Amino acid sequence: MPELAVENITKSFHGTTVLEDIDFTVADGEFFTLLGPSGCGKSTTLSCVAGLEHPDSGTIRVGDEVFFDGLPRTAVPPEGRNLGLVFQSYALWPHMTIADNLALPLKLRKVAKAEQRRLIDDALTKVDMAHLRDRYPHQLSGGQQQRVALARGIVYSPGVLLLDEPLSNLDAKMRGQARMWLKDLQREVGITTVYVTHDQIEAMSLSDRIAVFMHGRLQQVGTPVEVYETPATPEVAGFIGRCNLLDGRIDEESPADAKTLRVELGTTGRHLRVVRTDTAPAPGEAATVGLRSERITLTDRTDAEGDHADVNVLRARIEQCSYTGARFEYVLTIGDLRVHAESAVRHTGPEISLVIRPEDCLLYPRAT
Amino acid sequence: MATQTPPAPAPPRPAPHAGGLGTPRYRRPFGAGREVTIHWLTFLVTAALVLAPVIPVLYQSIRNQPLYAAGGAFTLSNYVHLFTEADFGSIILDTLLFAVLTTVFALAVAVPMAVLLERTRFPAARLFGQVLRWPIYISPLVLAFGWIVVYGPAGFLTSAVREGLGWVPWNLYTLPGMAFVEAVAQVPVAFLFCANALAASDTSLENAARSVGAGPIRTLRSIVVPMLRPPMLYAGLLIFGTAVETLSIPLILGEPAGLTLFSSFLYEQGIDSVSPDYGLLGAASTFMLLTTIGLVAVQARLLGHAQRFVSVRGKASRSRLLDIGGWKWLGFAFVGVYVVFGALLPMAALILRAFTSLLTPLVNPFDLLTLDNFRLIFAYAPYTESIVNSITVAFIGAVAVTLLGTAVVLVARRSDFRFARLLETAAQSPHAVPGLIVGIGFFWAFAWMPGGDAVRGTLLALIIAFGVRALPSAYGAISPATMQLGAELDQAARVAGADWWRTVSRILIRLLVPAMLASFLLIWTQMIREYAPAMFLAGAESQVIGTTAIDLWTQGETGSVAALATLQIAVTALVAGLAGLLLKRKHDA
Repeated sequence: MPELAVENITKSFHGTTVLEDIDFTVADGEFFTLLGPSGCGKSTTLSCVAGLEHPDSGTIRVGDEVFFDGLPRTAVPPEGRNLGLVFQSYALWPHMTIADNLALPLKLRKVAKAEQRRLIDDALTKVDMAHLRDRYPHQLSGGQQQRVALARGIVYSPGVLLLDEPLSNLDAKMRGQARMWLKDLQREVGITTVYVTHDQIEAMSLSDRIAVFMHGRLQQVGTPVEVYETPATPEVAGFIGRCNLLDGRIDEESPADAKTLRVELGTTGRHLRVVRTDTAPAPGEAATVGLRSERITLTDRTDAEGDHADVNVLRARIEQCSYTGARFEYVLTIGDLRVHAESAVRHTGPEISLVIRPEDCLLYPRAT
Repeated sequence: MATQTPPAPAPPRPAPHAGGLGTPRYRRPFGAGREVTIHWLTFLVTAALVLAPVIPVLYQSIRNQPLYAAGGAFTLSNYVHLFTEADFGSIILDTLLFAVLTTVFALAVAVPMAVLLERTRFPAARLFGQVLRWPIYISPLVLAFGWIVVYGPAGFLTSAVREGLGWVPWNLYTLPGMAFVEAVAQVPVAFLFCANALAASDTSLENAARSVGAGPIRTLRSIVVPMLRPPMLYAGLLIFGTAVETLSIPLILGEPAGLTLFSSFLYEQGIDSVSPDYGLLGAASTFMLLTTIGLVAVQARLLGHAQRFVSVRGKASRSRLLDIGGWKWLGFAFVGVYVVFGALLPMAALILRAFTSLLTPLVNPFDLLTLDNFRLIFAYAPYTESIVNSITVAFIGAVAVTLLGTAVVLVARRSDFRFARLLETAAQSPHAVPGLIVGIGFFWAFAWMPGGDAVRGTLLALIIAFGVRALPSAYGAISPATMQLGAELDQAARVAGADWWRTVSRILIRLLVPAMLASFLLIWTQMIREYAPAMFLAGAESQVIGTTAIDLWTQGETGSVAALATLQIAVTALVAGLAGLLLKRKHDA
């Protein structure tokens, strides 16, 4: 199967830009996720790929086959794209049995009756729903409908499978199971898949690569590890995982030492040593430090804070501590900065030490 | 090598992927998807139907000759003539007064009833709610006949009261009398709007008022009634517009008393007059058309598009009803008196009148039982024919209008047709065109159009004219149903390989069947009562129940009119009952 290429698509709606210069390529057989908060443009992008909406400009193609081109204007209608699409609401046709739901795309493709039956059985078996083939959609549970919707999306072997938040109508427990099962199915079928979700856990656990959307822009495309470990922007860092974003300024007298930089945190007078990156701001410039809450080590030791050879130690006040079962979550203050942290142990405070490794700090320039 | 291969003609689309089934192929007439043809066809047919009655009226109003005659020229004298005619000012004033009184009476009756039945603990509320809706299925013409039989100068109750008191405190043949009868016909409209609004409203607002210490009466006064302002305003405008255009009551009650209203003026000018002044008729029609269009535009502006057609919804849970104590019995008396004397008695009397030679309190009506009234109808072929005609027109018309309405809804709501909004507006616009003007307009259109003569005076002409009148109702019945079908259902079909037409025929139409049946029923009951356009359009062979009834009425054949009305009610009830069963079965399945 050829690759899906979305090239520089832009779309605005009533004067508001909803997609700005979106550009990515999905490789053959890849599980590719569009991740972002609601209203970020991920679903619009998926609709544009499906042909349900059209961008204002840009190109969408699968291999050599151009689905959409802004100039000269080409727009293949959805029925001409041979894609599979699974909706959040499942969108099973309520007046047809499960088997008929799967049969319609085959009938439209003039597949012989016997072959239809074979393909339907095959697809329903893949999702463990063959025994319910003669039921109507309203007789199925949400999880079952979701499987049928998926079977309908793959029964005619479409070129690309598009999934629009297919798990978000399931309850939390079912979602976990469905996730694993979906991953297995995708691997088994080997179909190129574009998956839309706002759930970062789904995105991380399912995807080969993730495209992070925000405010109609593509922030970063990368593997789950890349997106989590080296988020391209503070927004990405803030969206994926729990990340403290601390405003600061690169110390003027930051040692010219190539490995680390000193950042003065806000107006607290404290400093944080962070690993220098290629995009790091110059000394004296404003910066944002991203600090994942689970990478902060909390300790009751009252060692002097300040520069240590390889770690930062900061004193903080415990403002709030909540028990979530697996761990304790803390709201701490360092001067006027608020920091979220977590620990497996209960610390009573009122003061506590934070141990932060320079390599766990993400450094971004900050516009002032 | 690639360079040695002769360039093959580029295929329209690359071959399907190995192992895939590819995309379905569709024919593309005129180089575009076939839906383009369907969309444009629907648009053009709708536009033609909607404009056909309007354009001749507008054109005629500025011509000095009948528009089908040769040698006419542009003129404004028709308008000058219209506005300088001495009576016209008083006609406008009387029409205005009639419409205002009708609106006030109808709201004064309907709003308290809606509040009592919908929001308070009320004896037999469900039964009353049902009975109050009945007049919707009965033509205002029939209702007027019923009222005359009971409250007219020689009416049953009038005679009884005159016997008892020596005088009668009412007179139907006055503007307030006419307005009251028209109001009775319009009460169900206002009632449904208000009752639906109350059923849909959030009872927690009332509970909140109760919790801060408001008693039941206070809650009604401060919370419930003020919330009814939007439906009251909307129903009021609707009733006002209907009163301006209605023909039956001005014709039956106004004419004998020398009261000419707008619609009866048009009727006199166009039909009663020996040599109709077509220019004047055109100018008057244009004036009326502008008035009704203005009213509809105000409605649309006030309430926005979505609420234009409030569907009859099921009741919400009636768990928290207000108990108004002793006031309940006052309310009960009010509703009871209205239902009995306003709706039930006139209908019962009309039906009884159909089976008697005379209806008077002086003689026991059961001594005067006869079938002569029906014999007269069945003995005279044109009368019998008019019943068959009404049924035929209503049946074919309801099927045709429902199909066209469905097509319009699907194109307007479920396609990317460029003029979807315009199509929607066009389909709703006949709402603003009075029946009489549809009749005049099509009459001229058929006279004007080449080949129109073949249609004029036939049942086809009536089906077209009645159909245009009914199109907004079909749209209103079907459109809300599409809003309940998620767009994903079509999108799923499109992505799965169905083009627009396949999506419509395989998915949407199947899901719209209940709404289409409801639309059929609605249009059927509307068309079997319709007569105003037929006043102009019907030929000798294509009379309908309404026109025959007016004809018999002017001949003084009250009994036969009653018989005809009884037959119309019976046919309506029969079909409504059958359709109700059918819908119920469909729903249960």
